Amino acid sequence: MSTGTRDYVEELRDMDNSRIGLYAVLLFGIVFYLFPVETAVMTMFKTQGEFARTLPFAPPSGDGFTLSALATAWNTLRPGLLNSLLMAIPATIMSALLGSLTAYGLTTISWRGQVGVVVLIIAGIFIPYQAVLVPLAQFWYQILPGLLNGFVNTVFGFVTGGNWTYPSRNGYVQLMQLSITHAAYGIPICTLLFRSYYQAISDEMIEAARLDGASAFSIYRNIILPLSLPMFAVTLIYQFTQVYNDLLFALVLVNEPAAQVATQRLAALTGGVVQSFNTTMAGAIVAAFPTLLVYIVFGEQFAKGVAGEN
Amino acid sequence: MAQLTLDNVTKTFQDDDGEIVAVDNVSVDIEDGEFLCVVGPSGCGKSTTLRMIAGLEDITSGEIRLAGQIINDQPPARRNVAMVFQSYALYPHMTVRENMAFGLEESTDMPDSEIDERVEEATKMLGIFDLIDRKPGELSGGQQQRVALGRAIVRDPEVFLMDEPLANLDAKLKAEMRTELQHLQEDLDVTTVYVTHDQTEAMTMSDRIAILNDGILQQCATPLECYHKPNNLFVAGFIGEPSMNFFPTTREGATLRADRFEYELGDETVAAVSETTNVTLGIRPEDIELADSTAAPNTFEAVVDVVEPRGNENTAHLQFDADADEQFTMTVDGMTNLTAGQRISVAFPEEAIHLFDTESGEAIRNRTLDDIETVESVV
Repeated sequence: MSTGTRDYVEELRDMDNSRIGLYAVLLFGIVFYLFPVETAVMTMFKTQGEFARTLPFAPPSGDGFTLSALATAWNTLRPGLLNSLLMAIPATIMSALLGSLTAYGLTTISWRGQVGVVVLIIAGIFIPYQAVLVPLAQFWYQILPGLLNGFVNTVFGFVTGGNWTYPSRNGYVQLMQLSITHAAYGIPICTLLFRSYYQAISDEMIEAARLDGASAFSIYRNIILPLSLPMFAVTLIYQFTQVYNDLLFALVLVNEPAAQVATQRLAALTGGVVQSFNTTMAGAIVAAFPTLLVYIVFGEQFAKGVAGEN
Repeated sequence: MAQLTLDNVTKTFQDDDGEIVAVDNVSVDIEDGEFLCVVGPSGCGKSTTLRMIAGLEDITSGEIRLAGQIINDQPPARRNVAMVFQSYALYPHMTVRENMAFGLEESTDMPDSEIDERVEEATKMLGIFDLIDRKPGELSGGQQQRVALGRAIVRDPEVFLMDEPLANLDAKLKAEMRTELQHLQEDLDVTTVYVTHDQTEAMTMSDRIAILNDGILQQCATPLECYHKPNNLFVAGFIGEPSMNFFPTTREGATLRADRFEYELGDETVAAVSETTNVTLGIRPEDIELADSTAAPNTFEAVVDVVEPRGNENTAHLQFDADADEQFTMTVDGMTNLTAGQRISVAFPEEAIHLFDTESGEAIRNRTLDDIETVESVV
């Protein structure tokens, strides 16, 4: 604690070696992580010529400075960004909420066969996405439309006249399918995160709530949910980053150009014949911006959740 | 307010090695407004018994009745009982007011104004009204304890269940809260079941004590009855601090032969013992008397090993022989000075001894209470 009357020199003198060592390590960490970012930012403001002439991390000089790369990247990515947010935000919230509910049902409420369900959920974490691509595509493009067409035309046949078809070529429908897919695949890891958190919550407190007359859902809403806000920050950040950064599911499930997400747009931006590093870097920075924002907004809660503070 | 009855209540748990009987055929009648302490060593089934009354544990067999109604299958919330937990189990994200109001909000459709009124009344009664808008994390252990009590009080239940509520408090606060709890219980006149492993708490607070060991009810009686007329060896050894001294003996006629002494029984006592030959002699530390010599019958020589001064009294650990491992304790007046290594004569007065059947542990003969004095009140 600095008291105001003490100057920096005095404080430095009082500092012991371990503290100096700690700061040195932290400083190294900062440089290590920020150096590539700084390089990317510098590169995105350089012309192609300037990029060839200067060191990657040096700032652009007068006429080597340009905003055109950023403008190109922004214009290419902008529709993708919106689509990404439309898809990722509901997916994130759904998997966090469902994960939390599942974890609650698997920890504080006891019922037969719980362990089996937990094992299945943990196994779900380790399913490689590549292994499910084909059945996933079949489900969304053949099985589900087939089922829905049959169901709607049978039950509401007097309205549809038997001609209704599931709009699988609609961009928003494709985004929704992608969103639901991500939500579903996010549930296992979210469940596991919440479960370890809920196991630390005192049983006596839950019993007290039961004696107080609270129903299972009321206990969740009034006790568990408010107490798991830090864990929500953790899962929201983690899950948002996962969903937002995914390219594989998007490539398989979204083929309408209007519905493409940011990662697909970014791939298109960098996929030219001539490598233009400035637009690539600008694209990467623009695409990374939403995740960065999420980290900043939920950072404090995230730290609490990771530290297990209740 | 109501009478609570446990009728042959049994609880078994399934384990890898088979069945474990946690509570074995326990039957107790708890009168309306009575303060019953359930006491026993850890793992004796006392908490399980309490949790069965609360509805947090299923009952394997037997019946629990509240005011004549069987409540075995009722969910906890419907039983009209309130419980105070050892860990207090307060909701950390709620203020004191919210903590105490939660039960009323969940279990009744009382208007908010009435809930508020009740909560405030309870906090005033417990002296925590100033803390009403704080969260549990900002309160001391004793204050949290009061909030936990308050949460039970506002519910206005038929029965209070308390699971070692004072165990986490320091000694001084514990003594204070003990008296306060007693007053509170008397004022509210609510049937209370109080679980503790601390026999001092049980002795000082309760109307009656139920002593459990290995899931079996050993005795259920007033504190003094448990102290002076224990049913068996376990109760005799568990109640009282320092514990009763036990000497295993074999009886030959009117003589009890122990390893290091022989004790002569009077005619009446011999009649009470009748056929039993393996007899355990028990005597409380404060009943052992200092004697002038070993000339009188049932007076023995002993060596003082260790003296623990307590101010008001001294506890002396004695041996019949300086080389012997076995020790026994006696308490003497605080003004009586004993020193380690001193050889003294001690008498075991016959009216103060307890005799137990060594095999079954059952009490054969308890001390007589002829010398109880009553104090005349000043008019």
